[in-house]
Amino acid sequence: MKRLTMLKATPKSVARVTLALAAALCLNQSLAVTRGGQMVYGRYADSLFLDPVLNDANLDIWILTNLYDTLLQPTDDGKSVRPGLASAYVLSPDKKTLTLTLRPGIKFADGSPILASDVKWSLDRARDPNNGAWNGLLDSIASVAASGNTITLNLKHPDPSLTAALATFNAAIMPQKLFNAAPGKTDADKAKAFAEKPIGSGPFVLSEWKRGSYMVLKRNPYYWKKGEDGKALPYLDTLRFEIIPDDSTRILKLQAGEIQGAEFIPLSRVAELKANSKLNMLLFPSTKVNDIIMNNRPKLKDGTPNPLSDVRVRQAINYATDKTALIQLVTFGNGKPMNSFMSSATPLFDKGQKGYPYDLNKAKALLSAAGYKNGIDVTSMATSGSADDQALLTALQQMWGAAGIRLKIEQLDTATKTARYRANDFQMRTGAWTDDIADPSEITGYYAVFGATEAAHTGFKNDTLEKLFDQSQQEVSAVKRIGLYRQIQTLYANAAPTVFLFETPYPVALAKNVKGFVQIPLGYNIFERTSLEK
Amino acid sequence: MQTSYVLRRLLQIIPLFVAVMVLVFLMVHLIPGDPVSTLLGDRATPDIVARANKELGLDRPLIVQFGLFAENLVRGNLGDSINLKIPVLRLIAERLPITLFLTVYAAILGVLMAVPLAILAAVRRNTWIDALIRAVFQVGLSLPVFYVALQLLTLLGARLGWFPIGGYGDTFGDHLYHLFLPALTLGLNLAAVLVRTLRNSVIEVLTAEYVEFARAKGLRTRVVMLRHVLRNALISSVTLLGLNIGALIGGAVITETVFAIPGVGRLMVDAIFGRDYPVIQGLTLTFAVLVSLVFLATDLIHARLDPRTEHR
Repeated sequence: MKRLTMLKATPKSVARVTLALAAALCLNQSLAVTRGGQMVYGRYADSLFLDPVLNDANLDIWILTNLYDTLLQPTDDGKSVRPGLASAYVLSPDKKTLTLTLRPGIKFADGSPILASDVKWSLDRARDPNNGAWNGLLDSIASVAASGNTITLNLKHPDPSLTAALATFNAAIMPQKLFNAAPGKTDADKAKAFAEKPIGSGPFVLSEWKRGSYMVLKRNPYYWKKGEDGKALPYLDTLRFEIIPDDSTRILKLQAGEIQGAEFIPLSRVAELKANSKLNMLLFPSTKVNDIIMNNRPKLKDGTPNPLSDVRVRQAINYATDKTALIQLVTFGNGKPMNSFMSSATPLFDKGQKGYPYDLNKAKALLSAAGYKNGIDVTSMATSGSADDQALLTALQQMWGAAGIRLKIEQLDTATKTARYRANDFQMRTGAWTDDIADPSEITGYYAVFGATEAAHTGFKNDTLEKLFDQSQQEVSAVKRIGLYRQIQTLYANAAPTVFLFETPYPVALAKNVKGFVQIPLGYNIFERTSLEK
Repeated sequence: MQTSYVLRRLLQIIPLFVAVMVLVFLMVHLIPGDPVSTLLGDRATPDIVARANKELGLDRPLIVQFGLFAENLVRGNLGDSINLKIPVLRLIAERLPITLFLTVYAAILGVLMAVPLAILAAVRRNTWIDALIRAVFQVGLSLPVFYVALQLLTLLGARLGWFPIGGYGDTFGDHLYHLFLPALTLGLNLAAVLVRTLRNSVIEVLTAEYVEFARAKGLRTRVVMLRHVLRNALISSVTLLGLNIGALIGGAVITETVFAIPGVGRLMVDAIFGRDYPVIQGLTLTFAVLVSLVFLATDLIHARLDPRTEHR
């Protein structure tokens, strides 16, 4: 009844409505974005290979979403999905069929329509076990059927991570005809040719690429998403990536106004750039975790006994780690202590995890209980030339030394370090990880499950955890899955196969007039709503 | 100068290439780490790494891989980059001109700075001018290249805005403008080496009898300096310049990184870190060819300046 009285037109209410309308219009004016222009963004390294399925590195992954579009898309917080090229999706009651509806009238950047057959072909290519490193994400799909504007995915088993997988870069929709028309005999050859001049349906299309120097993306005139002004996105006409490997040079170029954005700002310079009134120093939440990965096996590769095989020793090391001090020393205050092996930006991260608070006495007691009254000697591999690794391990050397854990640092270049840990030939190493998919299964599969990589090469194996993980991979009840992941995180934390350190954000500095840029926790750089305000 | 001398020198380069080729091949394949797992990092399962290695032929015996590499090389094919998935020849063709441009530019700036200052220091030897010139270059020589590069960028680029901060530009004039600071950085380093030797040889020649004689004939100082002193003083410096240009080609790595120049120096570093075997091999061969050619040219110029060389 109240509503009716409100709708009654009195002179007062008319005036009120008029005022409200005027205010709304003003607000609209202030919300209006500037269209056009070129934004230059400084990257620390160039992309390698712009194929969504066969690419290998973050350098590609983090840019691909600007060129290609997926059926579903990760949300800006990286925790769930929203419609993309598919406007809707329905899961059957038995959870074994996912039906997606393609948006009407959508086109690739060359103007040709996106057909259901393109979707089927793209997904079949992406899930082919012979293709690249990412097909496992789409493992649960038994077959893909396409008809009209409907795509039907028949599943081998219910898969709670499937929608997140469909929002991941490797499930990008590519034009089958154009790909097949590319020169080359095999799929790999065609991919090489196509990736030099890719055509997708993302907000931008590659117009020029001088390797190692710059890459120019032009707005895709056929992009389906609309901006705040009701017209098609993106707002920018051109996006230019310049490759500036040196951190200081990238910052100087930004300060001089030659570029409008710069990624990978060293955390040591964040405070200085925050104080610069011409710049907007942003720290985007990320899924990046930094840890010390330990070899949990009873013996090291060379046959010597390994004290880290004793859970008490591993817990002692965790207790002897003063994360608050590390965050100050290594990240200049720009980090967050870790209480789980996954980041707090990973879906199903359990806020209730206690982690390991700094407790020197507990550390000493645990070491004694394990039979190491006189302490232990450990060796950690570090990446040579990495200022962060150097700072981190020197600080740990001091901290752990107080508990009787004597740390030796071994500096190796990345390739050698990788070869060594892949052969399980190490005792400790510095490690970092970022998620590629908005689901906890990827990091759990790598860190906590024995699987093909022997739990991040630690050799850690917990049968209960393995069972819980298997269960979680098919558990479609969100509530039950939360419970499973809580148990997994607790089991992992208690066994302490790694030393939890800290999460770090993605530091990006932008010119003050840049609006609407997002780097989501998965690392993707999203420029579709970026504009240069006057 | 005889053509046979040049030909003989060119033929001598061939066994050098074969040796370089074998050595580089063995070295890159014997150091730990492979391109696939380095690129894929944490995420790759042993299965994926094995499959990729098989596709690239990296699972075959070393001798077979070497045979294929040598066979391709004879056909003028350096293979495809593993990480970038494009032909190595194309990569080198795109990037080498940039490094060469920078090297030549740096050498010219270096010589332009070194020659007049060395002569000035020699003529005014043991005065404050001489001391100042020597001191400045001594300091320049002992400062790390990246430090000088960043200081120049900060001062002349960011603060005064006279030069762009990094990059390469699109046209010839643009290249000259963009590459001025990096060329100056490298040029200063080169000049520092040259000034010292050139000053000493100028002093040596100035006191030689034939110069005294030329002066006695009443020739003007400038003529004496150019025709007699400089020509003779340059002999040792040309060799030094040649040696240093060889080093510049390989040593532009730091400068190319700081100034964001997409040359072969940076390509090489990326390739080494990524264990991109075909790129490392292709670039090493290219460097070997270039350095050999520079040394040959140095010898030829040396022979021209000092005709005794040819008959040795």
